[in-house]
Amino acid sequence: MRDERDDRLDQLLDLLAEEVAERLRGSSSLAGQPLERGALIDETAERLEEEMPSAPSEPEPRPEPVPEPPLAAEEPVEPEPEELEERPGLESPPSPPAPRHTARLLGRLALGLLALVVLINIPINRHGTTLATAMPDTRAMVIRDGLVVKEEDDPEIYVYQDGRFRWISSLTAFEMRGHTWEDVHVVEDGFLDPFEIGPAIHVLLKCPDSPHIYRLEAEEKRWIVDIEAFEDEGHVWEDVQSVPCAYLRDLPDGETIPPGHGPPPQP
Amino acid sequence: MKDLTVIETILRDRKNFFQEIREGKGLAEKMRAMLVSSVAFFALYGAVMGSSHSLWQALSSAAKLPLLFLATLVVCAPTLYFFNLNFGSNQSLSQNVALMLTTITVTSVLLLSFAPVVTFFLLTTSQYQFFKLLNVGVFTISGIVGVTFLSYGMRIVSYGGGESVRARRTVVWLWIILYAFVGSQMAWTLRPFVGAPGLPFELFRQLGGNFYANIFASIGEVLGFVTVR
Repeated sequence: MRDERDDRLDQLLDLLAEEVAERLRGSSSLAGQPLERGALIDETAERLEEEMPSAPSEPEPRPEPVPEPPLAAEEPVEPEPEELEERPGLESPPSPPAPRHTARLLGRLALGLLALVVLINIPINRHGTTLATAMPDTRAMVIRDGLVVKEEDDPEIYVYQDGRFRWISSLTAFEMRGHTWEDVHVVEDGFLDPFEIGPAIHVLLKCPDSPHIYRLEAEEKRWIVDIEAFEDEGHVWEDVQSVPCAYLRDLPDGETIPPGHGPPPQP
Repeated sequence: MKDLTVIETILRDRKNFFQEIREGKGLAEKMRAMLVSSVAFFALYGAVMGSSHSLWQALSSAAKLPLLFLATLVVCAPTLYFFNLNFGSNQSLSQNVALMLTTITVTSVLLLSFAPVVTFFLLTTSQYQFFKLLNVGVFTISGIVGVTFLSYGMRIVSYGGGESVRARRTVVWLWIILYAFVGSQMAWTLRPFVGAPGLPFELFRQLGGNFYANIFASIGEVLGFVTVR
């Protein structure tokens, strides 16, 4: 019984609050001061609750149900639980329904991004450069072991190894180490200046019919005169590659190692 | 498209969404939808990140980014469940996983929303360290918003549990710290996601160093103090 009376009181209060809010809004609009509907209803309802704490002793006729304003198919957004906890028994008025298109928008965004990812990964030249990798990358490089660089106006190619750059002394050495031209990053002149330059990387060549060992350097063969010179240069036997004698003979002669030992013997 | 509606529900009607998880309503459908949409979004974002290096890196990152988040979830889920159980929670493991999937889904949506920005910088800048730090920032913001959803969801799902509610909230925040640590280490293990220019494509990089030291080194290089080698 008591619950029924409370329900009626609540309904009555709601109706009164609506009515007062409508009138106040009308008058404030005329005065050029638009008010927030929700805040006004809250304020009025609170005031009415304070002023009318006691329920009527006799049941009053139930008011006619007020038709709800037509809403879109969507449900109103519910208030946050914190707000409800702070003001128990007083629910905020429903906000205007938000348009429900997030799922569709997300789907379109995802499809658009997919198309973009494909687009920026399509090669735009014969070197396989894509839009995503088209920016010059000198400043973007990470200096790590295996990085191959060449300064713009210098034909020499260097590889980074154990904290220093090492000159690759010949095309054969370059290829034997498994590098390709796509690995070479052209950098501005002077890029290597702040770095330590380590010993050069050479290829040592020998043919089966000759005991002599040659070092290939700038596409010339340099005869290593003896074992002592071989070891002094820091070479090890694993560096020696066997090639046909005819190939070795065709290579032009360079200065001996160490220099000053006359014309080198031919293999 | 149907799976994407769950995201709308999480973002717009989260209270009801978490209450349904609390009541165990449609848990399997929710989890499936969140899993599908988050995997798709992570894959897309991963592809954007990897595009800065090569097509192979884009494909690799598209596969590895969903793996990163799901593996982190698998590693961390038992901790949250058993600690909550210890402090009087009556949630099932499925409810816990659903909450964690909500975190991951929100994170993935935010990452997707950042993807156009990241693509813009990918196309207009060339500094690797900057791009890496940009992504770390994006992940941090998205992750923080994601875990606030977990905290909020946990409050609703475990509401009315008596005196141990406060303890369980503490557990959630401690778990979030654990989640961040596990996630960052998992990311370090599964790297590279961006791919260092000048190096060939690699699916996984050798272990060594750690996530935080690398971030500090990157900040140092962007500010011009050090060169990352």
